[in-house]
Amino acid sequence: MLEIQELATAYGKIEALKGVSLSAKAGQVTCLLGPNGAGKSTLMLTLAGILKPQRGSVKFEGEELVGRAPAQIVARGLALVPENRLVFPALTVRENLMAGAYKRRDMAGIRSDIDAMFVRFPRLKERIEQLAGTLSGGEQQMLAVARALMSRPRLLLMDEPSVGLAPMVVAEIFSIIRQLHQEGVSLFIVEQNAHMALKVAQHFYLMEQGRVSFSGSPGQMADDDLIQRAYLGQQRPQTVES
Amino acid sequence: MNDAMVQHLIGLSSDMAIMSLLALSAYLLLLVGRVSFGQQAFFGLGAYASGILSAMFHAPLLLALGFGMMFGALCSWLLAMPTMTLSGLHYAVATLAFGEMARIVLSGWQWQVSSPDGPVGPAGIEGFRDIRWLLEHDITPAHFLGLTLAILALVLVVLMRTERTRLGVALRMTGQDDTLAATQGIDVSQVRLFAAAVAGALAALGGGLYAHRTTYIEPALFDPMLGVHAVGYALLGGLGTALGPLVGVMFDLGLLDATHLFSGWRMVVFGGLLALFLRWRPRGLLDEQLVHWLSQTLKWKVRA
Amino acid sequence: MTDLLQLVVDGLIDGGAYALIGLGLSLTFGSLRRLNLAYGATAMLAAYLGAWLYATQQAPAWLVAVTVIVAATLIGWYVERLCFACTTQDATQARGAPVAGADGREVVALASSFAIWMQLEQLAVNLLPRHLNAFPSLAVSQDWQLGELMVRPDRMGLAVMAAALTLGLAAWLERSRIGLSWRASADHRIAAHLVGMPVERLQTVGFAAACALSGLAAFSILSLDGQVTPMFGMWALLKGLVAAMLGGLGSVRGVLWGGLLLGLVESLAQASFGAQGREFASYALLFVVLVAPWRRSRERFLATAVPG
Repeated sequence: MLEIQELATAYGKIEALKGVSLSAKAGQVTCLLGPNGAGKSTLMLTLAGILKPQRGSVKFEGEELVGRAPAQIVARGLALVPENRLVFPALTVRENLMAGAYKRRDMAGIRSDIDAMFVRFPRLKERIEQLAGTLSGGEQQMLAVARALMSRPRLLLMDEPSVGLAPMVVAEIFSIIRQLHQEGVSLFIVEQNAHMALKVAQHFYLMEQGRVSFSGSPGQMADDDLIQRAYLGQQRPQTVES
Repeated sequence: MNDAMVQHLIGLSSDMAIMSLLALSAYLLLLVGRVSFGQQAFFGLGAYASGILSAMFHAPLLLALGFGMMFGALCSWLLAMPTMTLSGLHYAVATLAFGEMARIVLSGWQWQVSSPDGPVGPAGIEGFRDIRWLLEHDITPAHFLGLTLAILALVLVVLMRTERTRLGVALRMTGQDDTLAATQGIDVSQVRLFAAAVAGALAALGGGLYAHRTTYIEPALFDPMLGVHAVGYALLGGLGTALGPLVGVMFDLGLLDATHLFSGWRMVVFGGLLALFLRWRPRGLLDEQLVHWLSQTLKWKVRA
Repeated sequence: MTDLLQLVVDGLIDGGAYALIGLGLSLTFGSLRRLNLAYGATAMLAAYLGAWLYATQQAPAWLVAVTVIVAATLIGWYVERLCFACTTQDATQARGAPVAGADGREVVALASSFAIWMQLEQLAVNLLPRHLNAFPSLAVSQDWQLGELMVRPDRMGLAVMAAALTLGLAAWLERSRIGLSWRASADHRIAAHLVGMPVERLQTVGFAAACALSGLAAFSILSLDGQVTPMFGMWALLKGLVAAMLGGLGSVRGVLWGGLLLGLVESLAQASFGAQGREFASYALLFVVLVAPWRRSRERFLATAVPG
């Protein structure tokens, strides 16, 4: 569904992405792991069209996205739930959701989707007319996800959905991710929290210093010593050979 | 070069030196990250204060100027107390409001003492005439220019020397990123208050010199456009060095005005140039990078 | 008592003009979070173009009105392109980090428009060098009698128009799709991009529309005076600024209340302290509102609630 080839993005002279290639299959939850500063958020912002890459290609369902404005990328069916939520603080919860549906013109569909969001996220319903800037971190995260879903994306990008949230809230977020996956939404998630990610994703990539250094299934991740130690904090039990 | 041209040049140079002081006043505040549209008020207050001392109390010129400077510093410091903690935008508007309030007060204020030639002193909207200290003491325009240049040179030396001290660094750090500066232990409020006081003194000094040069001042002269020009000179000339504002002044008054280049379109050119500069060179012509490069190159040349 | 009521009514009616001229300024701030210091000069140059047309071509009032509004729109487009269009992609904002501390960019943001202010003012004065310039007059000199009060119908009409325009615009911004997208883009640029809003286009069109409003305000106000002077630019900026700031920069309804308050304060100040007192009071009011302690805490809330 999503094919990224040799994508490179720089901030001035600093190359944050040094030639990233990966792909995300339709109907799957693909997870990108990596330490801070690896370039994961840069990748997400580039995919969303906020940042312009120096070279490389991003093909979404066969169509090239590089060079397109963010508005066109949303129209193609890609939506990003950004790191740090980035809700509209001076707009109400309801207005935030309306904003998410900006590219759509079907008023009836939008209204029924908003109702559906409130079923999925009951806490948001309680705060429907509240300014988004006054919500808690977890509520803002749910709002950010709901807002992204309002555009009925075919691929949902999520940048560190669990960061800065209490464990209970994190569990809620990940159960929502599982729900979406079951409903057929394709997801591409960036995470630092490898434990939670292992429970929902079907395919993993590891990114370090602007490059992809690992690609595999959860099982292969569990087998890999380095990953175990660095990201999962586990030591494999000593075998007879070593 | 005939006599008239020389006289004209002397006058122009005096004007440029005086404006440079006002531009330096704006520059100092820009260094600490504040745009002030009220420096013209301290220019005016300094003009009035110095004029009062010399014309009404027959104080010597330097004393009058000094008094004006202190008064300007005090007023600026008092204004800065409640306003420094405002956001940049609110601060700019507050200084603008203050500038207008000062101008209106001067328009309404009358205080005169009698003298052999009639009443002398601020006469509200009519202004303040007969600040004749220079004439009474036979100071020619050339002498005055010498004095003004000496004062300007002194100010520049002090400012440029301060750049290298901890104070100078603190000033610049506050302007670049005040939160970061605070985390480095710099008392941002104190630094800004100090900058405001000195800026007020500089503007008042310029005003005092102006009053004596022209012998007549009126409140209408000290309108926001004057302060806006001062900020413009500093921004165009460059914030990397105290010489920057001088470049801005020389460009406008020296090049554009004096040569009547683009006569009638001077502000169109100046404004357009400034806007372009702000887009691509927001720290002006002599910005920190260029000044740094120049000083490195000169050092290398001196060594070689 | 009637005298006091008359003062109040006069003040409120004058306040309508202030609200009208402040509306465009408040809108540009609402959209860009930056103050357009070239605002007054934009309205003035547009008005001067109208006056020039009137003087040289004896153009009828409606044509002058259209000219002033269109001119203000075009000049506004020029100002926006030159001063405000250059916001570069700020990746730190995208990552949600608040803009830490006041830095050099705030200075630039404030300064670029005053350079154009200088430009536009000179262009206007070059066009019509005289101090007093005739402007088509729509003034009605006869006062209406409302009970014990005397009211100028033309000025009252202006105030009513100001109120209707302000309140109508505020309602439209809250209810329409475009209004939502404009508010969203002003609230958080990057988030607006992420939901597919045409942020740059909204900014440019919004700015031009605000300047069109300034043209409308300029025409309406000047047509009651029958003349325009070079002081108009500064007047428009300062009065508009006070009205907008009193009501909270960026708030459309706020500029109406701010304008009315300003008019009221000025009217009372004039009765007590004369013309100079009137002018002083308007700036003193602005100053007090700016430095007042409650504003500080409101600013702090806004600073935390509105990232970037």
